[in-house]
Amino acid sequence: MSADEFRTPYRGYDVLAKWDTPSWNDRTREVVRRRLHEVPERRFLTEEEWRLLEAVTARLIPQPDREEPVPIVPWIDDKLFRNDGPGYRYADMPPMREAWRQGLKGIAGEARDRHGRPFEDLTSAQQDEILTDVQHGRTDGRWWGDLPPGGFFLHLLLKESVAIYYSHPAAWSEIGFGGPASPRGYVRLGFDARDPWEAEERHD
Amino acid sequence: MRRPEPSHRPLLAVGALVFAGAVGGWLLLRRTAPKDEAKEVAAARALGAGAAVLAFSVATDSALEHYRGSFENRAMFIAPTVSAITLAAAALTLARPGTARGAKRLVFGAAAATGAAGVGFHFYDLSKREGEFDLLNIFYHAPLGAPAAIGLAGIFGLLSQRFARGETRVLGYDGARLIAPFTAAALIGTVAEAGIFHFRGAFQNPAMYAPVTIPPAAAAALTLSVAAPRLVPVARLLLEGTAVLGIAGPVFHAYGIHRNMGGWRNWSQMILQGPPLPAPPAFLGIAIVGLAMLPLLEADA
Amino acid sequence: MTDVHAPRAKTGRAPDVFRPGGWIEMRGYSDEEEVDFAIVGTGAGGGTLACKLAEAGFSVVAFEAGPFWRPLEDFASDEEAQGGLYWTDDRITGGADPIELGSNNSGRGVGGTTVHYTMIALRWRPEWFKSRSQLGYARDWPISFDDLAPYYEEAEDALKVAGPVRYPWSRRRRRYPYREHEVNASGLVLARGCEKLGIKWSPLPLATLSAPRGMAHPCVYRGFCAYGCSTNAKQSVLVTFIPRAIKAGAEIRDLAMVGRIEMKDGRATGLLYHREGRWRRQKARHVVVAGYAIETPRLLLNSACPYFPDGLANDEGLVGTHLMCHSGPGVWGYLDEEIRSYKAPPCMAVTEHWNYDDTGKDFHGGYAFMSQGPLAVGWAQDVAINRGLWGMALRREMTRYNHSAGLRIVGEVEPQRENRVEVAPDEKDQYGLPIPRVTFSYSENDRRLMRHSIGSMRSVLEAAGARELWNDDDTSHLMGGCRMGDNPKDSVTDADGRTWAIPNLWICDGSLFPTSGGVNPSLTIQALACRIGDRIAAMAKRGEL
Repeated sequence: MSADEFRTPYRGYDVLAKWDTPSWNDRTREVVRRRLHEVPERRFLTEEEWRLLEAVTARLIPQPDREEPVPIVPWIDDKLFRNDGPGYRYADMPPMREAWRQGLKGIAGEARDRHGRPFEDLTSAQQDEILTDVQHGRTDGRWWGDLPPGGFFLHLLLKESVAIYYSHPAAWSEIGFGGPASPRGYVRLGFDARDPWEAEERHD
Repeated sequence: MRRPEPSHRPLLAVGALVFAGAVGGWLLLRRTAPKDEAKEVAAARALGAGAAVLAFSVATDSALEHYRGSFENRAMFIAPTVSAITLAAAALTLARPGTARGAKRLVFGAAAATGAAGVGFHFYDLSKREGEFDLLNIFYHAPLGAPAAIGLAGIFGLLSQRFARGETRVLGYDGARLIAPFTAAALIGTVAEAGIFHFRGAFQNPAMYAPVTIPPAAAAALTLSVAAPRLVPVARLLLEGTAVLGIAGPVFHAYGIHRNMGGWRNWSQMILQGPPLPAPPAFLGIAIVGLAMLPLLEADA
Repeated sequence: MTDVHAPRAKTGRAPDVFRPGGWIEMRGYSDEEEVDFAIVGTGAGGGTLACKLAEAGFSVVAFEAGPFWRPLEDFASDEEAQGGLYWTDDRITGGADPIELGSNNSGRGVGGTTVHYTMIALRWRPEWFKSRSQLGYARDWPISFDDLAPYYEEAEDALKVAGPVRYPWSRRRRRYPYREHEVNASGLVLARGCEKLGIKWSPLPLATLSAPRGMAHPCVYRGFCAYGCSTNAKQSVLVTFIPRAIKAGAEIRDLAMVGRIEMKDGRATGLLYHREGRWRRQKARHVVVAGYAIETPRLLLNSACPYFPDGLANDEGLVGTHLMCHSGPGVWGYLDEEIRSYKAPPCMAVTEHWNYDDTGKDFHGGYAFMSQGPLAVGWAQDVAINRGLWGMALRREMTRYNHSAGLRIVGEVEPQRENRVEVAPDEKDQYGLPIPRVTFSYSENDRRLMRHSIGSMRSVLEAAGARELWNDDDTSHLMGGCRMGDNPKDSVTDADGRTWAIPNLWICDGSLFPTSGGVNPSLTIQALACRIGDRIAAMAKRGEL
């Protein structure tokens, strides 16, 4: 398999096929319907920041296998717009909104310094190199202010992107997660035990 | 006490079905059995009826439980298949006790052997699990006692064929005097099984005590009736009570399913996780045989 | 839905947690009416105590900053959408080992953290209550195991804890009220590993129903326990003590944030609280603070007044100090078998071997470890952050989710004075109240314990057949901050949770813990609350209130 290829062992499993079964209740359908069909517009980030973040998340969660990738940036923007934080911030980190702005500025700065071009216009390899350096704190202090790049990368950028992607039914399907389960839960709990309404793993 | 309120309709349906089945079976029995029939033939018919009810219970219960186990071992098809064939042979015995005796004995013999093998298989299954014979596995894995029920159906079937031939002696003893305590022991085994599962359910509903009180009393009275035939009326009453439990059980269990999350709408989970619908009729099957022995015990006296 | 913005418990009625859209009658008190007890918080401590005091005949109003949910209709099967169950107001976390707050260890809503806890209902090792005198480290509690034993039993019965017929550790005990649940594959991994190594293991006693109970359904093994139970199988305070409290005449005030305790002449006179957009005052003869280990010290500190310039009950400067969490390193690996840890409660099997066997330890204290059941988002974040994985490498790794299994400890943490809660005077929350700042660093002993536990977990997982093992780092629970004790000089309250400084100010939650023990704290908090309730009723009878 090449570096950007992806194949799920759960081919043929779509968690959304359970939409009308007892595995899903009204409340869950309402929540997931909004996630699928009411993707928010840009309200917090600038257009420039949005484009940059699109390029960044496309490397964090690459989706070349999808015609329509699972949207990530709109939900980050939505959280920032609502200033909906996790309930704490590390003492060495600025408040959430400032941290995101500073972090995006940092990534953009690294790209311009190293390649003289915006991050969005770099090759995938160049982008990955910059992100790896940010992750490990190998950055130029000028662009980052008080923000620890590694902390920003792990605790904000990666943590949020991953949470948004793996909140999407498409992601549940590809990892064989059972997804919503109420009122119907599961009966077969042991090793290698699978209810008929669970994903079947195929290795062919 | 207030209860959650999903629809009651499936509950009524199960109740109606069980009631119709019981009445239908009883009417069938009355129509096929001539009034002036010999005691032995009547007993043969009853042994067939008991075997039929047990086989029905095991066929449905093992099909359901082995489906829960995803039939991961091919041998898991044996129990429902053999029970279904046993059911047919036993039903034929109920209608015409004396026909096709050779074929019937073959089927009932196979059922008895399946029961013995099943107990062995289930024992082995538990022994290799984490926790082995801990209550955890007794509660949630292959029950030791369940396969014995198909064996019991086979034995009742074989006995019915002796009685149908007019042979009332078994192993050199008077048949009824041997079958009565044997039936009582079978009843106690079934009580143990119900007891374990109702204990697992923390006897959360007082009705759950019924199968661990009435049938043991019936078993005791049935055994004592061998020595003291004047106890036969007591035994009859208690065995009738046990038979009623076998009929009422599925209705209670259907209510139990309705009591679970999602009720009957969540049937695909709850027929497996809720209380087992097909299990209680085992009480009916054994009680029928016990009741059939009573006139013979009275006659002996 | 978990984003409820208007109070529901009003005008003589409260939500019926057992019926979608249903209501039950609730007694209401006016702000001017001086109630016997005003309780801040409705979780394991406050909710339980509200019930005990109301049943003892006291007039009680309990305040809850969060909403009053009906789980059957409000809770979705979704990690993201259930984010409203956590306390997400601003907090700062620092120190050498900053504790992750928010979803990790806080609750917001009637029932508190018990609405999203994993239902583990374990008693303490008896010696832990006297760990200084019997085990030679940390501190003694002002009460003993025997003092608490009847209340453990009371709490277990109130929650109909489903546990094994014989639990292999602690003292002999009466049978758990309900039977153990079937153990899922992730729990069987722990079992298999322990059996191979000859170490005892047990199905976990869990406060989730294994059989019907009244209006509550038995567990359906849907696995979303940490995101709220939508079936009411989980015996949270919301569906157990709260309905009982309301029936006994208590009033629960939801979406009511308490900002300060009102004082006069050295005694508490009531509470200042924010509800429906304005500040109001409730008069009370006694005030109980039960906001858990961060909000309880915060409220005492934010209630500073001329008479108590450093905050209430803080004469010795102890309020907010000796904060503890449980250390929680985990070890994960992959198995050939499908585990599918999204099924059934996340933790179903435990070994308390290293809580009860002290041989060969190079540290003080103990730890238990449990099997784990992360869902999609939680697992993805764990893999991404702890292993630094992203890009296609992460997406591929995630497809092995169903073959992964892990263990995580609940590890005892030493009480240290420097680990504490303070308020940051220059940063205010949405109510204008100074926000809390938490400082935490592990001690050397804590680190030795964690290292030891990682070794134990690795050997159990390896014995179970897991490969490609890796570790992660986490914490759970909060305890301490207002510890109880025998001596007014080195504790905030006495053994009954009554503050030494203010005779009608009480504390009843995890912040009372002088030490942390090596098991989940909720059952001990509830047992303490049951005991404090009985003690208060007894004192009232003797005229000692």
